[in-house]
Amino acid sequence: MRFSSNGYYIEKYIKCCNCGMLIYGAGQKHDVAGKMQLFCSDWCAEWATLRAEHDGYFQLKIVQPKLPVEKAMKRGRKRKSKPDMVMMNILDSTMVSICREMGILLMKTSYSTIFNEGLDFTCALADAKGDMIACAEFCPTMIGGMPLLIKTCAQEIPFDTLEEGDIILHNDPYRGGLHCPEHTFFKPFFVDKKLVGFAVCIGHIAEIGGMVPGAFCGEATEIFHEGMRVPPVKIRKAGKDVDEVWKLLLANTRTPRQNFGDLSAMIGCVDLGVSRITEIIAKYGKDIFTDTCEDLMDYAERRMRAELSAFKDGKYGFSDIVENDGIERKPYTVAIDMYVQGDEVVADYWRSSRQAKGPINATLGVATGAVYNGLLHITDPSIPKNSGAFRPIRVVSPPGRVTNVDYPGPLVAGNTETHPRLANITIGAMGACVPERVMASESCTGTNFVFGGNHPDYDEYFACYDIMSGGWGGRFGHDGNDCVIAINGNCRFNPTEVFETRFPFRVENCEMVPDSGGAGKWRGGLGYTRTLLATAVPITGSQCSDRHEVKPWPIFGGEPGGNGGTQIMKHGTGEWKTVRELYGKVSTSKYANITLEPGDRIRLTTPGGGGYGDPAGRDAAAIAEDIAEGYVSAEAAQRSYGADDGAN
Amino acid sequence: MRNVLGIDVGGTFTDFVAYDPRTRQVKVWKELSTPQDPVTGILEGLAQHADVPGIDNLRVGTTVATNALLERKGATVAYVTTRGFRDVPFIQRGNRKAHYDMSWVKPKPLVKRRHCFELNERIDAYGNVVTPLDDAEVHRVAAGIRAMPEIQAVAVCLLFSYLNPTHELRVRDILSSELPDLALSISYHVLPKWKEYERASTTIADAYLKPVVGKQLKMMRGRLDGAQVHAPAVIIKSNGGEMTLDAASEAPAQMVLSGPTGGVIASRYVTEQLNISHLVTIDMGGTSTDVSTVINKKESFTTAFEIEWGVPIQVPMIDIRTIGAGGGSIAWIDKGGMMRVGPQSAGANPGPACYGRGGTNATVTDANLALGRINPNNFLGGRMKLDVAAARAALGTIAAGLGQTVEATALAIARIVDNNMVGALRSVLIERGFDPRDFTLCTFGGATPLHVSALMREMGIPRAIVPVHPAQFSAYGFIMTNARVDRQRTTQFISTKFDAARANAIMTDLVSESLAELKSQGYEKAIEIHRALELRYLGQNYELELPLKIDTFTDANIETIWTNFHKTHKTRFGFSTPGEIIEIVNFTVTAVARTAKPALTKLKSSTAKPKPIEKRKVWFIGGAQEVPVYDRATLLAGQVIKGPALIEEAASVTVLEPGYHLKVHPQGHMLIDRGK
Repeated sequence: MRFSSNGYYIEKYIKCCNCGMLIYGAGQKHDVAGKMQLFCSDWCAEWATLRAEHDGYFQLKIVQPKLPVEKAMKRGRKRKSKPDMVMMNILDSTMVSICREMGILLMKTSYSTIFNEGLDFTCALADAKGDMIACAEFCPTMIGGMPLLIKTCAQEIPFDTLEEGDIILHNDPYRGGLHCPEHTFFKPFFVDKKLVGFAVCIGHIAEIGGMVPGAFCGEATEIFHEGMRVPPVKIRKAGKDVDEVWKLLLANTRTPRQNFGDLSAMIGCVDLGVSRITEIIAKYGKDIFTDTCEDLMDYAERRMRAELSAFKDGKYGFSDIVENDGIERKPYTVAIDMYVQGDEVVADYWRSSRQAKGPINATLGVATGAVYNGLLHITDPSIPKNSGAFRPIRVVSPPGRVTNVDYPGPLVAGNTETHPRLANITIGAMGACVPERVMASESCTGTNFVFGGNHPDYDEYFACYDIMSGGWGGRFGHDGNDCVIAINGNCRFNPTEVFETRFPFRVENCEMVPDSGGAGKWRGGLGYTRTLLATAVPITGSQCSDRHEVKPWPIFGGEPGGNGGTQIMKHGTGEWKTVRELYGKVSTSKYANITLEPGDRIRLTTPGGGGYGDPAGRDAAAIAEDIAEGYVSAEAAQRSYGADDGAN
Repeated sequence: MRNVLGIDVGGTFTDFVAYDPRTRQVKVWKELSTPQDPVTGILEGLAQHADVPGIDNLRVGTTVATNALLERKGATVAYVTTRGFRDVPFIQRGNRKAHYDMSWVKPKPLVKRRHCFELNERIDAYGNVVTPLDDAEVHRVAAGIRAMPEIQAVAVCLLFSYLNPTHELRVRDILSSELPDLALSISYHVLPKWKEYERASTTIADAYLKPVVGKQLKMMRGRLDGAQVHAPAVIIKSNGGEMTLDAASEAPAQMVLSGPTGGVIASRYVTEQLNISHLVTIDMGGTSTDVSTVINKKESFTTAFEIEWGVPIQVPMIDIRTIGAGGGSIAWIDKGGMMRVGPQSAGANPGPACYGRGGTNATVTDANLALGRINPNNFLGGRMKLDVAAARAALGTIAAGLGQTVEATALAIARIVDNNMVGALRSVLIERGFDPRDFTLCTFGGATPLHVSALMREMGIPRAIVPVHPAQFSAYGFIMTNARVDRQRTTQFISTKFDAARANAIMTDLVSESLAELKSQGYEKAIEIHRALELRYLGQNYELELPLKIDTFTDANIETIWTNFHKTHKTRFGFSTPGEIIEIVNFTVTAVARTAKPALTKLKSSTAKPKPIEKRKVWFIGGAQEVPVYDRATLLAGQVIKGPALIEEAASVTVLEPGYHLKVHPQGHMLIDRGK
């Protein structure tokens, strides 16, 4: 990383050519396959060499990358308390409960529907090294990037300069972040003036300026189209608001009143976290707290190693196609190779396409989090979610690819569209190893329709990030769930009665799409469709979705799930058209700034999930029930299962 | 004062509490429940009562609605809604129950998709009619429903009916005349609040329950009459009020949490008797533990009840949170070598290892037995002998895995289950912004007083109560219920455009609806009205309830309301935004008809030192001690016991750890504090 001499800005982001991690300092030059390249470590050079030499499976015991601040931190601290299993149990559940309480405060006090209905945030506690020691179950994409977010901050704001009452804000996607809307707040907590850890909150701020209201610019070609980038800055210093930071932030959004509410709620959230955890530390003592946090991370590591060692050693690969990037009409490959070696795994994205011009690129934080997310789905869900669980997992994501975007490439959809693809291929890859634990592809899209305009009732600008859910894939023993949010989030969508109260749209329907679940022994779940009628004022809309052309993949002989889609009916025409037909956009799923005039309609449809196993193996009673309930039409049942509906 | 009988029909036992105003005596007893036919259990229990003709009021907590929901044994329902929206109950809210669990199966609603009907009508977000209702189409839907002979009930939920109910009311009129034999629920009556999925789910549940509950209550009345019990009976509602059998049959969604409310009502009564402001209640059973609060001598309410995850019933009810930790919770060692307790439970059968019914898993009850806290010869008043050897054998398996003694393992189990319960206490106190130090812990349910000192210690609650009859406390609460109606309506106002006249009209409506509902059940006297607003900053999505001291809005007093909202927000969430626009979302009215409360006799007082009945070896965190054991029945008012000690009664044991003091209250309650 090359900073300006005054430290005000970054002149160049420098990354390891193998794993994609940021390199602060000199790095290491190695000659691999006849080329001198820059690596973060010997391990990466060796990995790159092995990969160049072997097509098949090889092993290399993992070494995790470390930033200079981490290397400088004291290792081998002598424990000052006895290991206590009961204390671990108590502290873990107490810290998760604190994180949950932080989340509830955020839900109850925030303004954007993406927070309070969508719950698109996560709350966690980290130790003084920036490792996550506990988190609550809100939005899983965010937990993978969090340690990196905090550690890159430490490179720029030395932790020994932090004061009680400081709150740091950071959203830079190239420094551990996920995409610009995802704002990270962290507040240090101290015991006897010594830093013990941080309360952390990451949340999606719906409107942050940029080319389109709502940040999801389907036609972005650089980061500056996607809204405001915030380097690590203190928004509060020693408990006092830094007015200049507030003013800069709020000057760069179309909805300052809403953003003020959301940002205040996030500050309230980390304030609460710090006050609660400080009470807990006072109760048990700092040494017991610190030691037990280490014990908890060691414990999570043991649990994860136990799970991984149950997988057969080998290389498991899988890939999927993103239909286009919104700029050019050509597909991109996302690919992963999972090298299972004993109780460790290396996930390597090297086969993925070069970086896209449009916003489908994923950051390193996204790509890393997606592997964790995928693996957590096929291992024991009761493993504590802390940094320890991820020690046996090494993510290799070479830079300049769709799986590790370089500055200033656009990336807003990487977090919502590419993340689920990456998590799904991680799961899909392991299908060859543990077929009874995996699922066919889910919808993998949040649909992500964003819009804004001048509100007819309130004399202020409104903006909304609207999400929808699609079908799960079929899995061993069960059909896919209908209409459940993609794997990267756990967001709820807006009720129609809330949506219409807030925004000048009328929702005309909200219906499941029959036959959108891919056939299989266990079929995919259904997607759904909504039609929105602009009622009072012109509304500017943009979208970042996918799966309009590429179907959700099946597994073990099932059929793919149904496509999603977006169509528009201009007032008085009676005809549904895509944005490509109507506005000459390159992509139907990714576009920016179309105008819906009063009387215009937009129809948003989500994909279904892929099927699991040969449809011929499906239970006849299940087929009959599907037909009776209208999940599958008689014609589709005939086609996929050779079944009739019994009506002669 | 009438002769009152409280009956709590539970899964294992049916509890009875009788109050006789002449003698001022309370009598309690238990019968085994008859889950297949609960009325038989009630009649058998009544036969134990000497003075059946003297009973003039029966108050019943029943699980009939709860069980019909949990076992999915309600009616076949037809669902009628706005065109384009029949899938709302199926789509739900799009979120998942837990991350990382790919085996999760999304819950199905209580209605089949093939039984859903749509009407081409629409009301908008301002309450204006966009597409008028067509009567002829409603008649066609009625014909469609009639053509499905399996349909037993109809639920109607139209978009924005909470703002403008005319369409729903018209649909009700037509369907009830066309389909007079079918039960009918409309969302405007069941839950006139925004968010269509939650309202639909609640309305469907109401319709789903109506035929079952109606039939059961009718049969109960018939069989009571047949047994010459002619006293009027009332059902306890989930809001802790009572309602007549007829009213219950018409609004069964109001009684999904009937039984457990009794303990909270009784706790509220305790706050009045003892003049305590805030209680947190905890009721540990065999498989689960219920936690609730009484704040400023009032129960806490919620609208966040779910039949199962994701399937809500949002009528206001007493806020009782349940966790899967109980006496039967099983201890086990996970793959990382950590011991855990629950959520698996040995249940009642085979039950804990010490029940001697073939259970081999170590449970919390086994741990308490091995720690010397439970007397093996006095479990359920001696009706069941506990097998200490079996308990130690089960604990031994876990102890070997951990390389610890049986007692250390038992202590660890107790500490972990205590912490699980502390988690539940945190969720109702700290996570709601309350300071545990302002509370008194009220422990009831047979197993809870075993953990009372540990819970005080771990949660930082300075005082606790083990009330009278802890093992029948819910039925005890039923003899103290009031009739209560809660009405809510969503109508939005913002502080910059407040319309006092319109707001007054809404409140007046709600008050007259509440009074009419009480009157229809025969309650016309001693009625209290409580008004409240639910408010938030414009843009937020969750409201804070602000009780009102006024009964009419004026332009002047509304300013005070805004100021109070800023203050409440600051207290609750740590910050406020003065000058921000405030939105009123819901108007709420509660009407309570106070019924006479029993006057109870007092214990004789004594300054004598109480005499233990024996001494026993009991393990605590600090080690084993010889501990005196007292019989609660012999204790007199004013007597003090200093821990360590055990206090035994027929169906419960109180563990007083070293450093804790207990004092007997004249009403029989035992008050515990940390000593001076």
